[in-house]
Amino acid sequence: MKTRERRWRGVLITATACLVVAALVSFLQYQRNPRRGLPYHDSFSAGKAEEWKAFGGTWELMDGAMRNDSDERGAKLLTGSGRWQNYSVEADVMLLGPGGDAGLVVRSSDEEEGVDAYTGYYAGLRNSDNSLVLGRAGHGWTDVETPFLSDRHTVQAYRWYHLKLLAYGCQLVAAAGLPAEEAVTTLAVKDVDCVLSGRAGLRSYAAGGVWRNVVVRPATLEEATVMLASGHPAKGPESEHQAPDTTTLGTFQAPQSYYRTQTTPSNPNAQPISSLKLSPIARQDKATVRGVVILTSPALFVQDSTGGILVKESTHQPVRVGDEVEATGIARAGDFSATLEDAAVHVLWGGTPMPALSVTASQAATGAFDATFIEVEGRLRHKEYGPGDTLIFDLDSGPQSFRAVMNRGRGDEQYSKVKLDSLLRVRGVSVVDAMYTQNLTPFTLLVRSTDDIVELAGPPWWSVGNLVAMAAAFLLLVLLANFVYHRVENWRLRAIVEEREHLAFEMHDTLAQGFAGIGFQLEAIRTGVPEEHSRMHQQIDLASDLVRHSHAEARRTVDMLRPQQLESEGLLSALTLGARRLVAAGSVAVISTSLGEVQPVPLRISDNLYRIGQEALANAVRHAHPATLNIILEYKKDSVRLLISDDGTGFIPRENLGGFGVLGMRKRAASISARLDISSKPGQGTQVSVTAPLPPRITFFSWPGLLSRFLREHLFNATTGDPPHPHPYRR
Amino acid sequence: MNARSRKSWATQLGASLHLLYFAWAALFLLAGCRKNPQIAIAVVPRTCGDMLWEPEHGGAQKAAFETGARLYWNAPTREDDVDGQIALVERISSENFQGLVLAPDQSRALITPVRRAMQHGLSVVIVGSPLPVPPSDRLSYVLNDEEAGGRLAAQRLGTILHGRGSVAILGIDSDIAGIVLRARSLEQFLATHYPNIHILKMIGSFNLPHEQQVAAETFKANPDLDVVVTLTSTSTVGVVSALASMRPSHRISIIAFDPDSNLGFDSPNLDSVVIEDTRKMGADAVQLIAAKLHGATVPAVTLLEPVLVLRENVNSTQVQQLLSRDWRPEPIQRAWRVPQ
Repeated sequence: MKTRERRWRGVLITATACLVVAALVSFLQYQRNPRRGLPYHDSFSAGKAEEWKAFGGTWELMDGAMRNDSDERGAKLLTGSGRWQNYSVEADVMLLGPGGDAGLVVRSSDEEEGVDAYTGYYAGLRNSDNSLVLGRAGHGWTDVETPFLSDRHTVQAYRWYHLKLLAYGCQLVAAAGLPAEEAVTTLAVKDVDCVLSGRAGLRSYAAGGVWRNVVVRPATLEEATVMLASGHPAKGPESEHQAPDTTTLGTFQAPQSYYRTQTTPSNPNAQPISSLKLSPIARQDKATVRGVVILTSPALFVQDSTGGILVKESTHQPVRVGDEVEATGIARAGDFSATLEDAAVHVLWGGTPMPALSVTASQAATGAFDATFIEVEGRLRHKEYGPGDTLIFDLDSGPQSFRAVMNRGRGDEQYSKVKLDSLLRVRGVSVVDAMYTQNLTPFTLLVRSTDDIVELAGPPWWSVGNLVAMAAAFLLLVLLANFVYHRVENWRLRAIVEEREHLAFEMHDTLAQGFAGIGFQLEAIRTGVPEEHSRMHQQIDLASDLVRHSHAEARRTVDMLRPQQLESEGLLSALTLGARRLVAAGSVAVISTSLGEVQPVPLRISDNLYRIGQEALANAVRHAHPATLNIILEYKKDSVRLLISDDGTGFIPRENLGGFGVLGMRKRAASISARLDISSKPGQGTQVSVTAPLPPRITFFSWPGLLSRFLREHLFNATTGDPPHPHPYRR
Repeated sequence: MNARSRKSWATQLGASLHLLYFAWAALFLLAGCRKNPQIAIAVVPRTCGDMLWEPEHGGAQKAAFETGARLYWNAPTREDDVDGQIALVERISSENFQGLVLAPDQSRALITPVRRAMQHGLSVVIVGSPLPVPPSDRLSYVLNDEEAGGRLAAQRLGTILHGRGSVAILGIDSDIAGIVLRARSLEQFLATHYPNIHILKMIGSFNLPHEQQVAAETFKANPDLDVVVTLTSTSTVGVVSALASMRPSHRISIIAFDPDSNLGFDSPNLDSVVIEDTRKMGADAVQLIAAKLHGATVPAVTLLEPVLVLRENVNSTQVQQLLSRDWRPEPIQRAWRVPQ
């Protein structure tokens, strides 16, 4: 039976291991699948973009599309898996200004902020030279380009185009056209040492852009061929002079300068922005300022090297963060900054957004940086959804507090992720106007996008919640350790008990049988020896007595080693049986009594009680010559008491009662934290009482008290029970 | 499970754990036994993607191929994004790079990040404009010879003004030590050799509207100005823009330093340009680091003379090579095939 159990166990373990390995392999294969997550369609119209990651730019969801409202060179937004290999990405694309380009990225990896700071391919529409451009970035740029459609068409800002970029093997195909028209311009390259896999994304250079309906699909060679066949092929100079199978060197196209020719002449009378703080309040003086756009929503702010200003336009002019503009309007001086009202704004240049000025909250609280693009650190104390679909963060920084407000846009994911008490670095335009601060804080930061909030550090670990969790985990660990310890102890004890059983059987089969045999042989010899050899008869009788005595001792030892009785019959029954065996063929009465509600007694305790009881009974039979042996087993709520008493001769107790196996009994009692009492009077019999504590039963209501007691006993070395009695008997 | 089988199981488990431990230890040791890693050098210009610094990319990449080094190239997208450049340098210091070639955006703010990079064991070469940190075994300089540049501009000034007139020097930006040096050199040469040329100086920055503003105010305040010397690319654009708006009655010539956009001399005011040889800077810097890492002694400071470009020589091979933004050395020439 045991062999079969072992075999089944082995089969089960092997099957489980195989299942685990198979599951792991399947999971890894799934993770590495180059088509995992495809096809993909954006959720911009639903206001969701958690799966996209920005590298530069100010990306926001607006009107169901993704918008980069800055002229940063090489701003990227990426999604997907680095294992995507052969796929196409297509989208509707709109440029937000002249002199730059916007488009799509495939097979991107190693991304970081920077102009060409990624490895991958990019195709985009460029309005400075009306071209479709396709190239490879690897922290450097190489491309080819072709005129878009024909000379009749130009790449214009604020107009939708449909762009598709496909990568199959080492073949890259880009196609662009007007959404409503069939005609497309196509450009293709085969890159010999190509990038094989990477993420998909959106990118713009020196011009903002808007993207919608972004779709990523697995690509096939047929699809690439169809794309090539449907479009106007590239007419680069090399292709006209090369045989079809000839590999050529790509022509290097110098990147477009980001300092374009100024679109409109600038006003020579422009003033520094800070000078408008002193504008006369009695007159409505017109003023012209020149600066960089630092915020477009919820209001237009412009900043030059002397400070910033709120510009209230008379007619809305599409501008982007980073644009260098000239604004003319009526200057109104404020407490800390000025406002330009009824202003006309025109763009001088497109440019990259200016970096934020890093200040402390205390500095910003003075109002010295009103209407200026700054960066402040603070700890998040509160967050909430605000009016007008905004997100509001309340932060503390030393003695100051401030507020950060941003359009919800892509912010849902960050809003849910950022935890209270986190240390954040926030960039935005500082405003002290009560309209934004509600007079609750000295200043408010108007944040451009989620990319302007960076978590520097999470909340401190030592919070109430974490401490409680740690205490609970520690408690569980302690209980588990205790459980495991007791299980292991139980196994060990069982192993010992089984080993004893094995010894008992060995002794029974060898020693006991041997003695029996010797006894018979001696009896046979005695029968054969004539009666006149009395001395020989005496010696044989003595030998027979010795053999009988040794046989009895051997049987007794075997009985002591056999735990079967204890396990199969219970402690009281085993002791009673043992006692009856001891007094077999005699006239001693054995009376056994059970008192109290029977409780489960751990094997370790019952085994030791059994040994103590056996020794006490053996002593009584051997030395006290009793008429009656009483065995009482009393069960209490948290202890069990064994009382062995006899009506024999008794004895005068001595302090160091070491004989009669008492030392062994004391050791056994101590090993189970039991109290051993031996009382006796000459002529009045002997009582041996051992009281052992039972382990508590863990219930839902009892565990706190039990834990407290456990900790006191084990961690603080306190004892809750009575100390062991200095003398193991009482008068 | 009896005592014997439990003991046997425990013994087997112990043996398995020992085996696993030794296997991990062997794997760990084997991982250390690999070929010598490639030298990794980070090159961080003031910004990238422009005519001034892409040649440095080309020079550095070519030298990297020749020395077997791996190159990392990146920079902030704006020349005045000092914090961005500092963050980049700090990140490079903490990663597995052996060398750093840096064109600092600000001569003081980069002192600590550069020192920390050296403490992390990187060999650093500063290119373009210096830091106020003396050269050492871990720090070398490959700089533009600003004194020579100032002298070239002053000599050209003397030629076009015939030794008499007024000149405004715009774009003096103390953020870049080299700019201050070239302004001083220019002023010193003029004072020594052309004392009849009157000098007006204005502070500048990399902020274009500011430069436009300063240029416009300068022209308004000095209607008789003959020549403007612009010390930075931003001040050049600002001056060109201001001149286009104001249309002064007489022609004001511009002598520009470090243009970063395509040079076509489209503006009729542009007389000449003084250009740094950033391509050679990049190549020399990478070669220096590779040599240092191989134990060679290298010069502490190398000065590279800039080139004066006139309308007459702008299309020469030397100047076109200097101005070319094609950063791709031969091994990276992309094998494109453009279908018919």
